[in-house]
Order: sequence, then C-alpha cells, then structure tokens
Amino acid sequence: MRKPVSMTMDARLFDELQAHLFPGDHDEHGAVIAAGIVETERGTRLLAREAFLAKDGVEYVPGTRGYRALTARFVAERSGHCENEKLCYLSVHCHGGTDRVGFSGDDFASHERGYPALLDITRGGPVGALVFAENAVAGDLWTPRGRFQLDHLTVVGSVVKRLYPSPLSELVPSRAMYERQSRLFGDLGQAILGRLKVGIIGLGGGGSLINEWLAHLGVGHIIAIDFDRVDITNLPRIVGATRWDACSLLSERQSEFLRRIGKRFANYKVKVAKRVAKRVNPRIRYDAVVGDILDLETAALLKDADFIFLASDSIQSRLVFNALVHQYLVPGVQVGAKVPADEKTKTITNVFTATRPVMPSPGYGCLECNDLIPPSKLREEALAVNERRRQRYTDDPEIAEPSVIALNVLSAGQAVSDFMLMFTGLFEPGLELRYQLNFVRERQICKVEPTIKLNCPDCSNSANSRRARGDRGRLPCRE
Amino acid sequence: MTVTPEVKQGVEEVRASFPGHVVEVVDEAQGGAYVVIRDLPIGGKYIPSTTWLGFLIPFQYPRADVYPHFVDASIVRVDNKGHGGGISGRMDWQNRSALQISRKSNHWDAASDTAALKAVKVLEWFIAQ
Repeated sequence: MRKPVSMTMDARLFDELQAHLFPGDHDEHGAVIAAGIVETERGTRLLAREAFLAKDGVEYVPGTRGYRALTARFVAERSGHCENEKLCYLSVHCHGGTDRVGFSGDDFASHERGYPALLDITRGGPVGALVFAENAVAGDLWTPRGRFQLDHLTVVGSVVKRLYPSPLSELVPSRAMYERQSRLFGDLGQAILGRLKVGIIGLGGGGSLINEWLAHLGVGHIIAIDFDRVDITNLPRIVGATRWDACSLLSERQSEFLRRIGKRFANYKVKVAKRVAKRVNPRIRYDAVVGDILDLETAALLKDADFIFLASDSIQSRLVFNALVHQYLVPGVQVGAKVPADEKTKTITNVFTATRPVMPSPGYGCLECNDLIPPSKLREEALAVNERRRQRYTDDPEIAEPSVIALNVLSAGQAVSDFMLMFTGLFEPGLELRYQLNFVRERQICKVEPTIKLNCPDCSNSANSRRARGDRGRLPCRE
Repeated sequence: MTVTPEVKQGVEEVRASFPGHVVEVVDEAQGGAYVVIRDLPIGGKYIPSTTWLGFLIPFQYPRADVYPHFVDASIVRVDNKGHGGGISGRMDWQNRSALQISRKSNHWDAASDTAALKAVKVLEWFIAQ
C-alpha cells in the first residue's frame, strides 16, 4: 500500500457511527466498517461503504483478554460479507478523550492474534482496526505486505473535515496576496485550499470561469480535462481565450478549407485554462489534460481528487462524473445553463441555470436518482454523428445550444462558493446542499427536493451499486 | 477496445434467451457489441415469415438503453399495408439493408432491463403490428 493511508467517509455514515460510539455513557462500543480501497500517487484511501453497529451485550461483550470485544459470530458474519463483496474489514471501537487517541497494549495484542487469520479469510484484505475519540481517530491496518498506520480520516459532508490521531501543530501563515480572503477563512482555510487537488471536466464557458476563480482562491492543484479546441464562437465566453487561440485569421475566412485548417490549429481549451491559472498563481500545480472523460485512463486521473466540477454538456460525462463521485467518494458539483425554446413559436421560454452539488452519501439523491442521466440519451450519444443522423435522433448536430457568459457566471459562481465554504468549514452545520435552479427571467431561485432511488446503481448501498468500491469497481468508461 | 464485462454478460443473456438461433456478435469500437439474432419467426402477417433482428449493445450498457432495433428490409406485410409508426427504412445498418424499429424505453431500469428482454419485447411488438 502506498503511504499515507487515509480513510474517507461520508458525513451521514460518520454521524451514525459517532452516535453509536458516543451516546453519552462514556463506555466503550464497537462496530465494523466495510470499505473499498483506492491507491494512487497521493497514497491509499480506504472508502467507508457501510457500518455494522454491534449491539451492546449481544455482539459487543466483555472480553476474555481485554475490556470488550466483538463476538466471534459477529466478526465471522461481517468478515464473510467483506470477503463476498471484495471489501476491506475494519473493526471499530472507541476510547475516552477528545482530540487524541491511540490503541492500548491489549488492542495491539488482539490485532496480532486475530488479523493474520482474518487476512487469509478475506483473501488479502486489507483488514484492520480503527479507534475513535470524539474528535480523533487512529488506525492499525494489515496487508499481506505489511502493517500501516492510518494517517487521517476525511469526513465528506457540507463541511469537509479531517480527524487525526492527534492535533496537527504546524500552521504556515498565508502568503501576503491572500491576506484579505484569509480574513474570511483563516490561515488554516487558506492552507486547506492550497493542498487540494480539484478536477474540472469541461473548460468551456462555465469551466473556464471556475478555473480562474479556483486559481484566485489559491487551490494548490488543478486537473483540467477537455478534448476540444477553442472555436471563434467560444471567444465571448472562455476566460482568457484570444483570437490567436481560435486561429481567427483562418477560421473566419470564407473558404471552408481555410476554416478547417484554422480549427485544426486552434489552441486546446485546457491550454488556455492553464495559461490563465498560471498567470493568477504561478505556483499552482496544473495538469492540462487533452482527453475525454469517457476514456478510463482520463477518468482515472480524478479518482484521488478532493472535489470535481462538471461543466460539460454531455449526458455521458454526467454518467462518468456521477460514478466517480460515488465510487471514489469525491464530492462534486454539476453546473450548466439551459435556454429552452418553444418548438412551435421558436421563442425562448424558461431560461435557467443549474448548480447541482453531488455528495457521496446514500440517500442524498444523485444525478441518476434525479433522472438527469437518461438511458436513451446515453444511447444516442454513444453513436457516431453520422449514425445519429442516419437514425434521426438529432435534426442537426452542428446547431449548438445558446450559451452566454452571464448565465455561466450564475451557476459557476454558486458552485465555487459552495466548494469554498465546504472546505473552509464555513457552511452552517448540518446544511443539506440541494440542487439550485435559477430562473433568470423571473429572478427566482428554487431549491429542488431530491428524488432518491433505493437501488440506485451509483449512490445506494444495494448489492450492485458502485458506491465506495474504489479500484474494486469498474467505471462506465471506454477501456 | 475490449467489450465491457456488462456488454459481454448482455450478449450471453441474449444467447440464452434465443436457444437454437445463431447469434452473431461483432465488437464495437468503444466496448459495445453489435448483435444479430438469425432466423426469428415473425408470424403470418409478414413475408418472409422469418427475419434477423439486429441491435447495438452500447458500451455504457446497462445504464444506456438498447435501441433502435433492425430487421430485414425485405419484410412486407401480407395485407399490403405499409409499416406503421415506429418502423422506418430502408437504411443501411452494419452492411445490411434494414428496417429500423424505434422502441425507446422511457422507464429503462439498469437493474432489471436487459438487452435480451428488450429484444424479446421488440420482437413481440413487431409481430403484433
């Protein structure tokens, strides 16, 4: 396993576990977490999928060697479940205290007695144990290649927070340029933004705004994904794009041949975005990826992101985004603007912008649950343009939707603000991040109550769902 | 591009649902599969009374719907009426002259709908026209 080893857990599961471990009786309680796993250059993350709370006195009983222990039957059933589901088995208990926690000698002795056999039973695990205090966690993780300590736990909710075995002491003051904004979220908030890796899918109108604002906020690492080049019609929307990027000397000519040459030599949107971000913050780490999120190699670049912005129009990219969020427990947001027209009168109707936060919790209501990934559209987009024409599923794919920067700003601005408040801990506690639609002609902002599909293949814990499976699941991509 | 495990399973379910029929499978560039089921009986309303049934299982199956379906373009109705709504053609599909049957599933459910089930339903619908 690559170090550091961490765990990610959604806030609802964390709250459920905390309520079980710390009901106010100051006693010890136990549970088991079944988790997926993902390994990248940033380390190894365990992805908490389910918690099995042990009933006191029945499944968590006085131990023969230690104070309390999970019963053999409880361990056998849960480890069997983990083996069948290819998940990692992690036993959990609590100690007293608040900000510091560690295993006792008895704890370590029981790990040494039990975990070698459990590793065999679960076919390589990893297996291990977590011990919680109210605001701290430590972990002892066993793999066939050795033993590892848990570095930290990330809890993903409307506030993203980290728990460590003991408080971190080092705090570097913010750079002078961030003095004004760090008055809002402090040096710690600025430091948190500086260590984030953020993905942006689609660097058109909305994505280019997000890109520039993230650079201004001081985000440390951006990974921008888009296969498209700058077109002359993008110039009113893409931040920082120039006529030179669009090869306008050629692409504005009458000659079809010269226009084609111009399009071929136009700059990639991600290259423009990188230039913009670097101009704002020369220290930023920036990966400008000319690629398609539908390709596994490209999508996999985001599995260890801290947050993903989806600013692309296609339904296929929504499918992959929704899968990344839930399979790897990476929160994200989808942004877009819609300018519907009445087919008969050809007049514009309800113009709206959408900001849809997608949180990796079951029962939160994801893009799939809310019918925003229609199977028929996926089918149509899977066809080549000429096939689509032949099968008459589009009138003319060359005719693009209306798109205006002022509308992009509304959805992108809300999304970046949500992102900033999540990671700097400034949202009101317990806030539910609902989809937000802004009907601009009526100046009306609506929050959408989510629909929840109990057997959702992305966000539920049903047997076939990908939630928190990490590298042991498969993304819906081209391989 | 290799066929995805889900598409592979979809193809196996088609084979299992049409025993005794030749099922031709050609890999699609993105990981899907073009499937043709040969010699399917379509009842007394049509001449000829058998056809092949073809469709693409797209690479994002089962999240993506399976449609349209295609049948032999030479099929005509015995009563000499034209084919009704939902059937169009002729067109070229996978180097075959074909009629297109458009039966989009408005409530496609990735957990329960399959390419095999859809093929059976489309065939039943075509026979009932």
